[in-house]
Amino acid sequence: MTKVFWGSPLWGVLGLATAILVSPSVTAAGSEPLTVGAIEALTGPASRYGIAIRDGLDLALDEVNAGSGGAGGGVLHGRTLAIRYEDSGGQKESAINAARSLIGRERVPVIIGPTLSNEMFAVGPVAVERKVPIIGTSNTANGITDIGPTVFRTSLPEADVIPVTLKTAQSRFGVKRVAVMYGNDDAFTKSGFDVFKANLDSLGFDIATIETFGAKDTDFSAQLTKIKDLGVDAVVVSALVEAASGILLQARQLGLPEKVFFIGGNGFNSPKLGEIAGAAADGTLVGSPWFIDKADPVNQTFVTAFRQRYHKDPDQFAAQAYDTLHILAEAINRAGSVQSEALCQALLQTHHEGVMGLFTFAADRSPGSTAGVVVLVMKDGRFSVLQ
Amino acid sequence: MPWLDDILWTYQTLIHSLGINGLLALSMYVVLAAGQLSLGQAAFMGLGAYTGALLSLHTGLPFALVLAASALAPAVVAAVIGIPTLRLTGVYLAIATIGLGEVLRVVYVNAGITGGALGLNGIPGRTETWMIFLALGLALAGAFAVGQSRIGRAMEAMRSDGIAAAVMGIDRAAGQLAALLVSAMLAGLAGCFSAHSASFIGPNDYAFETAVTILSFAILGGTGSPLGPVVGALVLTALPEVLRPLQDFRLVFNGLIIVLVVLFLPRGVVPWRMPRLGRLPRGMAP
Amino acid sequence: MFAQQLANGLVLGCTYALFALGFTLMFGVLKVLNLTYGFYCTAGALVALAVAGIPGATLWLALPAGALAAGGLAVVVDTLLLMPLRRVRAPELSALMVTVGAVLLLTSLLSMGLGTEIRRFPPGMLGTGTGGAVVLGPVRLAWSQVLIIATTGLLVGALLALLHGSRLGLAIRAVAGNEDAARLMGVSVARTMALVSFLSGVMGGAAGVLLGLNFNAIQPYMGESMMLHGFAVVIVGGLGNIRGALLAGVLLGVTEVMVAGYVDSALKDGVAFALMMLVLWLRPAGLGGRVVAPRV
Repeated sequence: MTKVFWGSPLWGVLGLATAILVSPSVTAAGSEPLTVGAIEALTGPASRYGIAIRDGLDLALDEVNAGSGGAGGGVLHGRTLAIRYEDSGGQKESAINAARSLIGRERVPVIIGPTLSNEMFAVGPVAVERKVPIIGTSNTANGITDIGPTVFRTSLPEADVIPVTLKTAQSRFGVKRVAVMYGNDDAFTKSGFDVFKANLDSLGFDIATIETFGAKDTDFSAQLTKIKDLGVDAVVVSALVEAASGILLQARQLGLPEKVFFIGGNGFNSPKLGEIAGAAADGTLVGSPWFIDKADPVNQTFVTAFRQRYHKDPDQFAAQAYDTLHILAEAINRAGSVQSEALCQALLQTHHEGVMGLFTFAADRSPGSTAGVVVLVMKDGRFSVLQ
Repeated sequence: MPWLDDILWTYQTLIHSLGINGLLALSMYVVLAAGQLSLGQAAFMGLGAYTGALLSLHTGLPFALVLAASALAPAVVAAVIGIPTLRLTGVYLAIATIGLGEVLRVVYVNAGITGGALGLNGIPGRTETWMIFLALGLALAGAFAVGQSRIGRAMEAMRSDGIAAAVMGIDRAAGQLAALLVSAMLAGLAGCFSAHSASFIGPNDYAFETAVTILSFAILGGTGSPLGPVVGALVLTALPEVLRPLQDFRLVFNGLIIVLVVLFLPRGVVPWRMPRLGRLPRGMAP
Repeated sequence: MFAQQLANGLVLGCTYALFALGFTLMFGVLKVLNLTYGFYCTAGALVALAVAGIPGATLWLALPAGALAAGGLAVVVDTLLLMPLRRVRAPELSALMVTVGAVLLLTSLLSMGLGTEIRRFPPGMLGTGTGGAVVLGPVRLAWSQVLIIATTGLLVGALLALLHGSRLGLAIRAVAGNEDAARLMGVSVARTMALVSFLSGVMGGAAGVLLGLNFNAIQPYMGESMMLHGFAVVIVGGLGNIRGALLAGVLLGVTEVMVAGYVDSALKDGVAFALMMLVLWLRPAGLGGRVVAPRV
């Protein structure tokens, strides 16, 4: 029986119902399940990220409860781990309501998510107020962990991926002069641009022009015509995949020379790019914290299990979520409880060999290592690791 | 009573949203009652939110002054788009206010001080629950008082019969402009409250869909009485929280409500008429 | 570069005009600001996309299929939502409100059903391959862009001929001018209105197919995101004014491209609203239109 909250038996009943609902696969021989919260965009435009994350979390959850970690099933000597999902729909107000309900009513000791950086900026302060650790698995914007001392993230921020991409472009392809384009009305693409700009400057690139567009724009001819005349070696673009495909196609249509290639941020990192832009995307470079064809056994086991269970390929969001749940389960065991300070300390001591490579937290509670970053190149509509 | 604190803490955002959406619905009501349609309520709200947030972040002004400024800024903008369009038919104001939302988004995205696409973070939580509901209560009382007065009858005349209004010596455009200004102020106030409740605002929070949602509050409640829209807002805010499956279909549901109510219940789901002392409104049998 | 930018502006302007033709016709005749118009554009593109998936189908099958389907949808929407209001002579804002609700309902349902991912026509639907382009001196135009310019010109011509050179056009203009008088003169107002709905839907659907072909970004919100430009074209060109729509569309497209190319691309999205407000303040009738004054 779960604890009776607020002195009302009604909440006890609700809590019990919840516990039954969220733990259908009770494998570990534990007492009561340990329920953690997760706020993800499971409906709405951002649901393609949220659902991938849920798939990755659920896969890892079953592994944890089946005892793949070696030390028996579950966490804390045999308690089943369970996840209570709340759908934010990608809306920050729903995300805040979800966080308050998870913390105030469900009493979860830790929250995974939310999906979007924008939502984290809204939800983070709520979790920090109640000293509840909150772990973003997909937030790449700058300043996420500055929200407060209980905010963690396992997603590699753009600031860690982009320098690797740019250095590769510089050393392997001799890129010196670039034009920059970015979507200026979207938090994700704008913060990607900020990182590009800072690194282009510090790495000594010559920036010929900086052009902007809106996330909903479909016509980029004015910007691309201008860029075509500037004689650049490459075009650096921070865009979501929709705009990115349009830019690539229109650039070739306007006759931008084949040797001028594109360098993308994380928004380019989608199979959809090759699907839409086809041959126009050839030669595009993008950095990624994870890649499906990485050969190490941990990754191959994950990819096989994921395909078996969901009959589709995992993406980086599923991979990051998968690692995150394992990292969390290990930290809970290390801490020996789910008490806030102990758990935060234990998280900081993470040393996890996962699908993204060796994972540690830096002192600022962001990922501590960029060793797992790979640079991908597009050829015939498919990304592959640049050799 | 710690458990009561917990309930309040858990539902704080929802409680704030109830009051804020009530204010927004009332702001919509004021325009509709004057026989116009504004699709810029979200834009006015956003302008109030940005004005309030910037003042709180960069100046030490007391919250009362911040609120006043947040109400004034959208009123000025409302005048700029209201004066040329209200001389024409109703669709012009509707079009111009849709465009306003879009152009303000461009401004927020490009102006450095508004934080661009990243929006504004760390807005102090200066909104207290009682402030929202006090403002809502005052606005409701004001709307009732105006409705009972000569102005209220004039507005009803403007809404239902332009020629009768002209006979009564009413300057239609001036009356509708006044309604639009008051409406922008209420929406700006609501925006300021919401910014100081959520701590984070972004340029894409005040788009067309928000405007239509506000319209659905007012239409569900009906425009017979100022209480109608407020009840509409309460219902449409609380319902998705109670009925989880409804949350996924929130936008579909809001759209459906507008269609069904306009077609089948032109007076709204809450069919109250404002009590009128002395005589019944035209077209209503005793 | 200037010649190419001018061409870019012309093409973009033609997409705006093409999109707005049906919108302004509907507005001018039916006196309804119909916000579901953007959805006809989306629906046309999606139907054409489905048809294009049939093996052996070409654009010349997909384009009419998408356009006709959108026309049918327009008639259904008009019959279900707007006819009942017309029958009781509801205020014009009621009609606008219904379409506001309908567009939210329809696009939300569609995006829940299909997702918001973008789709594109299979490459080579025009039979010219992907890289095909027309090179005229310093200017390069893709075949899809040539098609857009040609279709826009053709449709404007055909519409003007229909309105001013046929009995049907006379009936449409009579209904646009004064519904009651038209009825007295023996014009079937209901039939004429249904026909205008259908024509507008067809043009919206055709615009959706061509926009999808040119920009390769077919998704549930594609029509809705064109609506602001549609409003600007209708107001700047004058309500219901076909020539005005062409003029206003091209003016808007060229201005946007010139602002983005020579001033600052960040200002591009503000151009439509700025032009619209300027016209409303200075010349509310539009560049070539007539004033729709209050009914007082």
